[in-house]
Amino acid sequence: MTAFYAWIGGLAQRGLLPSDFQYPFLVRGFLCVLIIAPVLGGVSHLVVTRRMAFFSAALGQAAITGVALGLLLGEPLNAPYAGMFGFCLLSTLAMVYVKRHATLPPDTLIGVFHALTLGLGLCLLVALTRQFNVHQVESVLFGSLLTVTDADLLLLLAVGIFVAVMLVREYNALLLDSLSPPLARVSGAEPAYLEYFFALLLTLSIVVSLKIIGALLVEALVVVPAAAARNVARGTRSYLIWSVAIAFVAGAGGLGVSTRFLVPTGGAVVLAVSAMFFLTLMARSTSRRRGTV
Amino acid sequence: MTEGADTTTLLETNALAVRRHGEALLDRVTLHVRRGSVHVIVGPNGAGKTTLLSAILNQIPFDGEIAMNWVGSGAVGYVPQSFAVDPTLPVTVADFLALTRQRRPVCLGLTRRARAEVARLLALVGLAGLEERPLAVLSGGELRRVLLAHALDPEPELLLLDEPTAGFDESAARIFESILVSAKRSANTTVLMVSHDLELVRRVADRVTVLNRRIVVEGAPDILSAADVRELIPVRETVLSPAEAGHYARNSGG
Repeated sequence: MTAFYAWIGGLAQRGLLPSDFQYPFLVRGFLCVLIIAPVLGGVSHLVVTRRMAFFSAALGQAAITGVALGLLLGEPLNAPYAGMFGFCLLSTLAMVYVKRHATLPPDTLIGVFHALTLGLGLCLLVALTRQFNVHQVESVLFGSLLTVTDADLLLLLAVGIFVAVMLVREYNALLLDSLSPPLARVSGAEPAYLEYFFALLLTLSIVVSLKIIGALLVEALVVVPAAAARNVARGTRSYLIWSVAIAFVAGAGGLGVSTRFLVPTGGAVVLAVSAMFFLTLMARSTSRRRGTV
Repeated sequence: MTEGADTTTLLETNALAVRRHGEALLDRVTLHVRRGSVHVIVGPNGAGKTTLLSAILNQIPFDGEIAMNWVGSGAVGYVPQSFAVDPTLPVTVADFLALTRQRRPVCLGLTRRARAEVARLLALVGLAGLEERPLAVLSGGELRRVLLAHALDPEPELLLLDEPTAGFDESAARIFESILVSAKRSANTTVLMVSHDLELVRRVADRVTVLNRRIVVEGAPDILSAADVRELIPVRETVLSPAEAGHYARNSGG
């Protein structure tokens, strides 16, 4: 990877790429955005279609707790993966299981998990800040380019490819199940399997993106790109394309703002994607007034 | 659900019962649906008609037995009573119909074969040219016809229809009847339908079951003329879920 960064840096020095690309950490950050955009933008349109926005928020909170658990168990601050993945996957399985077997409305149940994991995470974080610098812990909450390593990048790429391959396999069944679980069942799909399957893929996508975006804000990148895309898409294909494109533009734009103004990456990315939502909303309103929608 | 031995009967239920919160939604329903026939279930609101179809589709727990005597593909087609569409969801008619007609994710585009199939199905239900229309802007009758198109391919051995003509105008109703008549003639498809449209039932049904949580009476369509049956069943009442009523209200028309 050192040779690769040196080559990119050379292109930047010659003016063929923006001058910021002389710095390996920025190149890593941009590569992360290139991977995160199709992964999160891609799952985003299914998250919104399957009404899992609140579920995603609860997963983000669970990731905080997972990081805290990992650190308390002795994992390194810049790679508490066992804690993150382990706790988040367990939380996902528990949430889906309870949702499928309880009689309370799904948002109420997820609210319970949301509160539980947040309370547990906050208590553990207080314990952690006695052992670590609080700014190091902030990077977990809000994301930080500076903490992303080559190993993180490769992990993101591997998980991104895995999630994409799995989604391609079950996409049509997932979409039909979102529209009508009875029709999905009649066509041979198993709604319970699909629910667990997608929730676990979502968990992997969110956890692997945490370093860049942060646990508190990653949910926004799983929901807002699709919400914005809905304002302008005209079919499933354009829905996916717009979701990914909006996630990419917000990611790259947020990255630029973050490095220019020294604000947390996650915050900058979320502001950028929110701005795009309102832009697409205005575009839709304008089209409606002209009678073209 | 078990495989039965009688080949003249496709579907049998034996003492089928469904309970929820201690209340019997269906009580010892024993039904025999003849292969190749059009069998219609009628009854007042809350009679358990949709519950019966849900039990047959194994979507809800039940007591008793349900036996299917498949001789062909075992394919089931289903038009649900309720199909509410998120008004902002950008899924087109072609996307929806292609979901079960191609392996490629529809978000990556339709295959040529799927596109041709979709066009054929839409023509069959009188909706040729509506491929690119979002599901969310279809009228109630158009949405029902798209659901019917979805249910008809692959050719089902059992076609379950729950209030299929809700929201249909005159021409849509004629198209639907002709599809039912074709199904009867081919004898490859058995139809079990829930309907409140008693005029339609009289014209197309081979057998009618009057249901009010348990079977009240069963026989040829002329049982609908009996005074006690007329008193039990309201005329031309269509039951919609609140979400579907909202969809119909937004997109009223045939």
